[in-house]
Amino acid sequence: MDFRLTPDQDAVMSAIDKLARQFELKPTDFHGFALYGRELEKELEEGQYFDIALVPELGPLSAAMAVERLARSPYTAEIALSMLVRPQLSGEWPRPLALVENDRPGRFVATAKTILMIEGESIGIVQPGAKDVEAVDSLFAYPMGKLKAGVKTTPLSSAEAANIRKWLRIALAAEASGLLQAAIASTVEHLSLRKQFGRPLGTFQALRHRMAECAVLAGGVRWLALKAAGTADEGDAALAALHAQESATRIVYDVHQMFAAMGMTLEHPLHLWTYRLKALFSELGGRGGQAAAVAEHCFDAAA
Amino acid sequence: MDFNWDVEQQTFRSTVRAFLAANLPSDWESLAHGPASESQAAFSKKFCTALAGTGLLVPHWPKRWGGRDADAWTSFILAEEMWEAGEPRGGQYMNVNWIGPTLMRFGSEDQQARYIPPMARGETIWCQGFSEPEAGSDLASLRTRAEKDGSVYRINGQKIWTSYAGHADTCFLLARTSAGKSGMSVFLLPMDTPGIIVRQIPSIIGEGDIHEVFFDNVEVPDSALLGTEGQAWEIARASLSLERVGIPRFALATRMLHRAVETLKRAGRFGHGAVESAAKARAACEAARFYSYGIVDQRRHGIATGPEASAARFATVMAERLVGEFAVEYVPEALSGGDPMLLAHHQRAIVAGIASGAAEIQLNLIATELLKLPREPR
Repeated sequence: MDFRLTPDQDAVMSAIDKLARQFELKPTDFHGFALYGRELEKELEEGQYFDIALVPELGPLSAAMAVERLARSPYTAEIALSMLVRPQLSGEWPRPLALVENDRPGRFVATAKTILMIEGESIGIVQPGAKDVEAVDSLFAYPMGKLKAGVKTTPLSSAEAANIRKWLRIALAAEASGLLQAAIASTVEHLSLRKQFGRPLGTFQALRHRMAECAVLAGGVRWLALKAAGTADEGDAALAALHAQESATRIVYDVHQMFAAMGMTLEHPLHLWTYRLKALFSELGGRGGQAAAVAEHCFDAAA
Repeated sequence: MDFNWDVEQQTFRSTVRAFLAANLPSDWESLAHGPASESQAAFSKKFCTALAGTGLLVPHWPKRWGGRDADAWTSFILAEEMWEAGEPRGGQYMNVNWIGPTLMRFGSEDQQARYIPPMARGETIWCQGFSEPEAGSDLASLRTRAEKDGSVYRINGQKIWTSYAGHADTCFLLARTSAGKSGMSVFLLPMDTPGIIVRQIPSIIGEGDIHEVFFDNVEVPDSALLGTEGQAWEIARASLSLERVGIPRFALATRMLHRAVETLKRAGRFGHGAVESAAKARAACEAARFYSYGIVDQRRHGIATGPEASAARFATVMAERLVGEFAVEYVPEALSGGDPMLLAHHQRAIVAGIASGAAEIQLNLIATELLKLPREPR
């Protein structure tokens, strides 16, 4: 165990941090549901950041840290699957990637060049044509799209499917970790400035304790996400995704409660994090799905 | 960043496990009930003496005091393995973790020579005289007085919730020598001094665990004062930073969760509800583990520990709660004679947010120091 960043990790994270700082603020005139960061995506492409998991000195752990850092931006782009899942696919598959589960609308499906489709226990893969997908309106703060019926996918082998499922879980946890940190930071700022009864809301213990609990949960999500990226263990991946969905469910409620009506507006950026988190609640089978994976991978040995 | 154990760490863990396997008696699990019970206290002395004999009691202490200057990971791996096994060291974990190191830093030569070697040999039990009936979380309001009279201090007052007091040889006592926060001092008080009365408080958490301790004109020589008069706050803070990571409770919690799941599986009772609750508890244990490892890593690299330590403690409290509640809901027979180790875990888990300070104090610290929320008005 050694949690210091290596010089290579430090260098790449400094570069990612510098890049992310350009996309820190929601444009004041943006009042939509999903703030698509095309410029952010372009910069990541040009800097070849989508492939950092393949660089031996960096690997998936650095990619997870990058995913987490970039998810803190109010801008969204298809980053997590490109950085963490795509490098695991055999063969060349173009990005952006998207995931379709149970024929439901999915994140980035309308613009994806490669689609992974979960059908029961198996996973199929396809490069969709323009006519195979369509954008859908959504409350979720990701661009959502739908794969039209009848599109044929190529099934992954069961070993590859298991591996991809694992990295999808890690990608979910890393993305959730960044979103949670940003939502909490935004709420802390609000509680520090907004006064009622003559004092900042953040001085009231009822709110302080709730926020502190949220912070502890979010910190745990971060540890489990990074650990899973570091060990590439199936059990660790399931624990990370479960803790992410479980913690996010509670934290999203709490931060909206702290913001009250202000958090309901599209003028405030809160939904750009919380409605991305809500889109993640149901992925990969939701908490029940992750729990089943934990049971399979973590509870098979006798105590 | 590396999430794997290095060879030295793995070897050390194996050594500790081998020692436990060779030294815990076959009836250990029923003995583990009540960390301060007569039977366990007697066993712990034998066990700690044997640990000391193989260099596993105080490996992280300086060579001068019987250790080998091992790093923070060594002492934490040791603590994890001990706690996971049901803490066969009993109350001596306090000597090893913070009382010894505190005396090394603040003790006089005479105090060090008198108290540290018996600790390093595993021969002595200490108790911590901090909480009082009117001074719990608000420790600075303590009332026990130590009045100087020539070359002695005369101590009057009362402590409460004192663990291990029934078996302790010495008390690490906080008492008031003058008014205010700066008027608190630490005394090293032999428990056989006349005027000390110990009364055990019957409790849910096991035989012999918590006590009231009364001090009625207890006279100690002024050589019993640790450091200087009024230095208690500084000493307590330094002690706390040594103990910041706290007990690795997640280790036993994880093991007991696995045991509860095995019990359910054998009985064909590991259904959907149980799976989801168990998995959430398992994730919380793992989060607590890595929070704690984060603090150990900071200590290993000489980084001052900040409010993350409070977050680590609270994560541990949440994990203990989930595991404890899981066992009560799905393996209730454990509380009715079904499994002594699950019962012992339950008794330890229910104090996770209370022992060594209310968890709500940690939440206050997290809000102020980690989140930087404005302070509450006082």
